[in-house]
Amino acid sequence: MTSDSRPFLPSLRSVRLTPGKPLLGPTESGQGNDGRLTGRLGARSGEVVDRRRPIRFRWNGTDLVGLEGDTIASALLANDVQLISRSMKYHRPRSYLTADYWDPNSLVQVGDEPNVRSAHRLLAPGMEVSAQNVWPSVEHDIKAANGLVGRFLTAGFYYKTFVRPRRLWPAYERVLATFAPGGSVDIDTPHGYYDKRYSHPDVVVAGAGPAGMTAAVAAAEAGARVMLVEHEPALGGHLRFGDAGQRAVVAGLGRELDRLGVEVLVDSTVTGRYEDNWLAINQRSHPGVVERLIKARAKSLVVAPGLIERPYVFAGNDKPGVMTSGAVRRLINGYAVRPGRRAVVLTANADGDRAVEILESAGVEVAAVVDARAGGDVVAAHGPARRLEEVERNDGSRVEADLLVIAIGWTAPTSLLNMAGDRPVYHDAGARFVPGAALDTVLATGGLVGDGSLDELLDHARATGRLAAGRAALTSHRLRFSTARARAVDGPEPPWPDDDRPDFAPDPHPALFRSSTHGMVDFSEDVSSKDLVAAAAEGYDSVELLKRFTTATMGPSQGKLETVNTVAVLAEARGETIEQVGTTVWRPPFAPVSLGALAGRVFEPTRRSPMHDWHESNGAVPLSAGVWIRPDHYGDPAAEVVNTRSNVGIIDVSPLGKFDLRGPNVTDLLNLVYVNRWSKLAVGAVRYGVMCTDDGVVFDDGVTGRLATDRYLLTTTSSGAAAVGEWMENWLQTERPKWQVSVTPVTDVFASMNLAGPKSRMLLSRLAPELDLEPERFGYMQVRIATVAGVEDCVVWRIGFTGELSYEVHVPADRGLEVWQAALDHGDDLGLAPFGVEAQRIMRLEKGHFIVGQDTDGLTKAGALGLGRLVALDKPDSVGRPELVWDGTGDERAPTEPCLVALQPTNPEIVPDEACQLLRPGTNEIVGRITSSRMSPTLGRSICLGQVRSDLAPAGTAVTVLLIDGRRVTAEIQAHHAHFDPEGVRLRG
Amino acid sequence: MKPPARYSALGLARRGISGDSWPRAWRQVELRPSYDVVIIGGGVHGLATAYYLARNHGITKVAVVDKSYIGSGGSGRNTAIVRSNYLTPEGVAFYDRSLQLYNDMAGELNINVMFSRRGHLTLAHSDAALRTMRWRAEVNKLQGIDSSVIDPAQVKELAPSLDVSHHTRYPILGALYHPPGGIIRHDAVVWGYARAADAMGVQIHQKTEVLDILVEGGEGPEGKGAGGRVTGVRTSQGDIAAPIVVNATAGWASLISAMAGVELPISTRPLQAAVTEPVKVFLPTVVVSGSLHVYVSQTDRGELVFGASVDPYNNYSVRGSLEFTEELAGHVLELMPGISKMRLLRQWAGLCDMTPDYSPIMGFTPVEGFLCDVGWGTYGFKAGPVSGETMAECVATKSVPELIQAFGLDRFGHGRLVGEKGAAAVGH
Repeated sequence: MTSDSRPFLPSLRSVRLTPGKPLLGPTESGQGNDGRLTGRLGARSGEVVDRRRPIRFRWNGTDLVGLEGDTIASALLANDVQLISRSMKYHRPRSYLTADYWDPNSLVQVGDEPNVRSAHRLLAPGMEVSAQNVWPSVEHDIKAANGLVGRFLTAGFYYKTFVRPRRLWPAYERVLATFAPGGSVDIDTPHGYYDKRYSHPDVVVAGAGPAGMTAAVAAAEAGARVMLVEHEPALGGHLRFGDAGQRAVVAGLGRELDRLGVEVLVDSTVTGRYEDNWLAINQRSHPGVVERLIKARAKSLVVAPGLIERPYVFAGNDKPGVMTSGAVRRLINGYAVRPGRRAVVLTANADGDRAVEILESAGVEVAAVVDARAGGDVVAAHGPARRLEEVERNDGSRVEADLLVIAIGWTAPTSLLNMAGDRPVYHDAGARFVPGAALDTVLATGGLVGDGSLDELLDHARATGRLAAGRAALTSHRLRFSTARARAVDGPEPPWPDDDRPDFAPDPHPALFRSSTHGMVDFSEDVSSKDLVAAAAEGYDSVELLKRFTTATMGPSQGKLETVNTVAVLAEARGETIEQVGTTVWRPPFAPVSLGALAGRVFEPTRRSPMHDWHESNGAVPLSAGVWIRPDHYGDPAAEVVNTRSNVGIIDVSPLGKFDLRGPNVTDLLNLVYVNRWSKLAVGAVRYGVMCTDDGVVFDDGVTGRLATDRYLLTTTSSGAAAVGEWMENWLQTERPKWQVSVTPVTDVFASMNLAGPKSRMLLSRLAPELDLEPERFGYMQVRIATVAGVEDCVVWRIGFTGELSYEVHVPADRGLEVWQAALDHGDDLGLAPFGVEAQRIMRLEKGHFIVGQDTDGLTKAGALGLGRLVALDKPDSVGRPELVWDGTGDERAPTEPCLVALQPTNPEIVPDEACQLLRPGTNEIVGRITSSRMSPTLGRSICLGQVRSDLAPAGTAVTVLLIDGRRVTAEIQAHHAHFDPEGVRLRG
Repeated sequence: MKPPARYSALGLARRGISGDSWPRAWRQVELRPSYDVVIIGGGVHGLATAYYLARNHGITKVAVVDKSYIGSGGSGRNTAIVRSNYLTPEGVAFYDRSLQLYNDMAGELNINVMFSRRGHLTLAHSDAALRTMRWRAEVNKLQGIDSSVIDPAQVKELAPSLDVSHHTRYPILGALYHPPGGIIRHDAVVWGYARAADAMGVQIHQKTEVLDILVEGGEGPEGKGAGGRVTGVRTSQGDIAAPIVVNATAGWASLISAMAGVELPISTRPLQAAVTEPVKVFLPTVVVSGSLHVYVSQTDRGELVFGASVDPYNNYSVRGSLEFTEELAGHVLELMPGISKMRLLRQWAGLCDMTPDYSPIMGFTPVEGFLCDVGWGTYGFKAGPVSGETMAECVATKSVPELIQAFGLDRFGHGRLVGEKGAAAVGH
């Protein structure tokens, strides 16, 4: 498991095994007169431990030995360790209460794993187990002193104190925080291998007790593909720890499951049921991985988790030695562990009666049986904090005992049904909540639904399995019929199977929740019935308010043990029935699930261009740009700028978003999503476009070229590609479904590169000798399809983000590196050098080209960017048009509205950081901000773009720039966005 | 009114000895036939409005009605983070006032709301994010808010469990650090306002669902809508007459407003959250990552509380989804790889009333006497106290306080949207 790095490693080889002789049996005659309270019994016929296989482990640093098949809990009890944990608030000593997964007292630290359920987790060699949340040790815990002032620490006490003086609260808070329960996290824990799997079974059965197993068999016999999921490490539910006859039933069902090929998952939990039976199954038993999350779309779900035995509320009910009858059965019959020496049994049902027999068979003296059905009751458990010594009965008598076994009823864990929308209803005669109205494809069976004989239980389960399979068959049929790829539907639709399951309901049971004394209701949160009564009196008298105020049911047991007692105590306090009070909703997950399992292997996608390896081996410094990794620069971005401006440069622009648009309505689509006009775009022409959202705010920009009459290539910003794709599909699919346009994302179909600089025409002419590059025939904003470096069907367009003469070449992706290399080969004598994103950013800033999302924000409309003239308001419609019409498209703005301007600091050496605020000179009034800034290698001075109030936007206005370090400098607004070549001579050359 | 029993350590001690119980935090009373003001929604906004109406303006004939228990909506479902490091000057001023009220709340309401000013980190994983952080820090500083951009080493010092190495897919390049931000016990805020308002005469009616809003003289059907005047509300417990009705119902705001004939530009979306089992405290600050859509803090009880961005579709369901937990866990482990063995204990969702500009709608509507305090999206809890204070002023003075003038419903008719969109989208 977790501790292979630990110093103590088990050495099985060093243990000498004597064949046939149990190594770790009791010292005398199976009675265990060894001076210990708890310990290992002689061999039991149904035990699940293997006495020939000892397992060494450590408990709080002490070496102990358990057996294979042991849980940590049974191994500890076998070693006479009872004190397992301390309670959250009062640090009261605690031992096992239910000895199963839900046991609130069972949480321990195992290596670097906190909050391990020690009564569920199987013992493994070398485990380092320790008590958590104790100091200095679980035996001597300093915070147990809280118990002395417990009467003052009622639920919610912290709301009422530390109010004044306020300045002391942070100090109190630090102290309170040390009271946080739970184990510890080692922040250096490596992220283990977790996996995920998808599955599409017909029927999933949650819970493999007799009912779940029977339902799975019946569903499989009816032809369904079935997955059976069991929370425990073995099948059988409550029969697993039953008598020989009961275990034979389990074995028989197991053989049936094998024969039918049912997929059986043990130590796995259906943790959540989401819409349409989308199930989360946490599999902790899959070999080779820490845990696995199975995501199953089940056509039917059978819910058969059985029942959870409920604790009883009375004074001292959390004392070590108080246990449920289920715990006793499990410990003695399953793990051959003696839970105590002298017992009192409080029984209200057959399980309690059976517990008496089991105890006696294990040699535990049963000092008294208190029969609640005959009016008997237990009112208090007495003894020192860490040990039960006497049990007080309601007749006033006291019985000496170290074990008090409780069998007062059950709680139905209806969580999965709640998640499907079902609300439990209170069954008065049976004194427990049961599922509400039956759902169509989420069917409950087993103890959750009712009691009765084993035959009655199995009859109901069989009928449930058949019903689930029948309904799954109908769903399958309809799914086949509804998919586009459907073949001819085979045969007529099967009928909807009606629910004809036999009646099955709880047997009458006395309603026992609280004795005449007060005791713990929530063991994990240290909330007593007295706390609940007091909180209700303060007005927190609905279940939800009570829960929030006292934190009852909010702990790691998730209310499985505590909810119904909470409701019962509240009902008592309100003088109402449990039915009137109602219960709370159980939210997912059914059982806590590790973050590792939910995360799986953690896939964070990374995209690289076809030329990525070249960049890496040529000294590129990588830049993480959204999902892409791009070359930021190759060593000296300023030199890259200078070279591009004077010779020619090449940049990899493959991440540019690209979409292939075809169909008769492409122009309509372009007119809709762009604010400018598209009707007159000729074949061979490229146009710049701006997209706005409904509120007129600029959302993306790019160029679109018309490659043929019915074929367009649309480009977006690199970071906006996914959003623009969704945007276009959204308009086409939901608003304009009749338009015929196919939008194909082709971002990674092409490798894209830009040749920029005065010598780029020369370079391209060498790469594409057949392409006519004469300016009058292949001008600015034109597109051609050409053969480049021997690669056919490349798209070449003349645009100029950098402000230079430049050609953007889109090459089939698999030939990208080849063309890139060819360009470098042909450009050597022209001074060709690659440039990265940083040089491109500098050059576009010199040219005054804005970047959406950097120079714009969530309120920037087209007009604010000086694009007012671009907006075509006489078009029939475009997204954002109403806002823009209203706004006016002119570049005139209201005085306070910001607009984009170019700025230059008066001191050319100072480059203000991007996001520096612009102030009205001499004041602290914010009038704008710097959105982009760089030192310009071309101009030898600092240059900026920024947003500023429109009334301060005229050229020559001076504003104050507040630098990050607090200095204030002056900058002057420029006449044109472009700091360099505002007329665009180079671009159009 | 009789002053409530003061909460104090001494009071606890006295009652611990005598065994006496504390009085009800708020009374349970019969619904009256009429009130001066009816507030729909018993969350922090509605209750704070009631409290400040009574305290600041002496208006006490007030009923707060809620269809469920108080704090059952967003007030009890949020992740309890408070901060004031917003992006726009308007936002900063508004939330700073809220933070100030939170800071003074324990003393003023005489209840420990456990405000933990533990500091708030917003991580930047890209140049662009770092730029936005700097923008916020600069605006904040100019307004006197403690807020600055820090580097990865400083981030590591504040939150050692974060992986600040360069080996992660989205390396942490820096963070916006806001020391006054923190977390608070959200339920206690609700209860504190309820108790204090009740003490001044305000009535709180739980399980009282509003079925209709009574309006006369309006242009729409049944005399509702623009030009109309509110006369009261119809509830599951009977009709109540009232000249002023305040809508403070968050996720249900557009449905409630429609009852008065007022259409709101609001869409309701679930926001999901989750909590882990408790472990010993190891995360001392609030950590937010916009790029990874996650925010996390550890309560004094030791649980990690996680939230994400709103679901991408409109929905009134508060059931959580599996995908949310998967994505959340993946992103959290990106940030803190060491906690893969911690377990998720519970997940839930709340409803967010989203407006187009991620800013609220506060103040008057075209129906006289019908006011809104809605559109609170994902930031309603932080704004609870200041919203209550300003809405109370709005009701009492019949004029819109300066702090909320930018948030009027009519801004959508004039194109004057508020610029928090960029900052607030995942701005916890």
